[in-house]
Amino acid sequence: MDISVRRRSRVQIVHLRGQLRMGDAVDSLRQTLEEALNSGDNRIVVDLAGCPMIDSSGIGLLVKILASSKRLGGNIKLVQPCDFVLKTLRLVGVLNLFEVVDGEDAAVSSFS
Amino acid sequence: MPVEFSAMSQNDGFRQLLHFSIPAESEAVGPVADAISETLSKRGVPEQKLLEISLAVQEALVNAVVHGCKGDRSKNVTCDVQCDEESRIVIVVRDPGPGFSAESISDPKKDENLHADHGRGVYLIRQLMDEVQFERNGSEIRMWKF
Repeated sequence: MDISVRRRSRVQIVHLRGQLRMGDAVDSLRQTLEEALNSGDNRIVVDLAGCPMIDSSGIGLLVKILASSKRLGGNIKLVQPCDFVLKTLRLVGVLNLFEVVDGEDAAVSSFS
Repeated sequence: MPVEFSAMSQNDGFRQLLHFSIPAESEAVGPVADAISETLSKRGVPEQKLLEISLAVQEALVNAVVHGCKGDRSKNVTCDVQCDEESRIVIVVRDPGPGFSAESISDPKKDENLHADHGRGVYLIRQLMDEVQFERNGSEIRMWKF
């Protein structure tokens, strides 16, 4: 999985391309998100448009980082998850924990 | 990555398509799930079913590696994929561990578990596959997709 990060209006935007599953993918994303939080960036957008599947390890990571960001007064928002990712998040009951947004612009604006 | 493929064999109307034996490490899991998905795709399994099977296999293999083998790379996890004439698929994942009680797993959708960072794998498998059975004290999982 490829991860690219950029900053926009004090929001960290993390683009994922590939499956978010146990192993290097989850480890790399964990490192990326933890570095963001440790740097004081607690407003994070995760763009899932290029992510066809997320396993329970990936879900656990997102849930954990969501809790961490909220403790710091921030949030994590999910952008454009595909139908199967939405279904997976819904199946395990965590979809409603997240704010899901249609596009990056709307996600960034929602933090204002 | 040491992966073994076996020739096809028959058992109770199900013909073996694939056999894998992988070391118990997380990086060995994804390629197996991908190979299974690719093989089933070539056999005409629809996209939605492929995704569900791929994710269930991913979860089963991760459980075998992490819990069955405690991530000990000297141990092996096996995965067999079979199908019958009606294109029903059964996938069996085995690990050499002592097993566990599938019934004792907490419901990840309960309020007290929703924010946990683990504990969703078996639940997901049961939601994604049509039938799931645990054998050999939980060290073997059989997953059917009809």
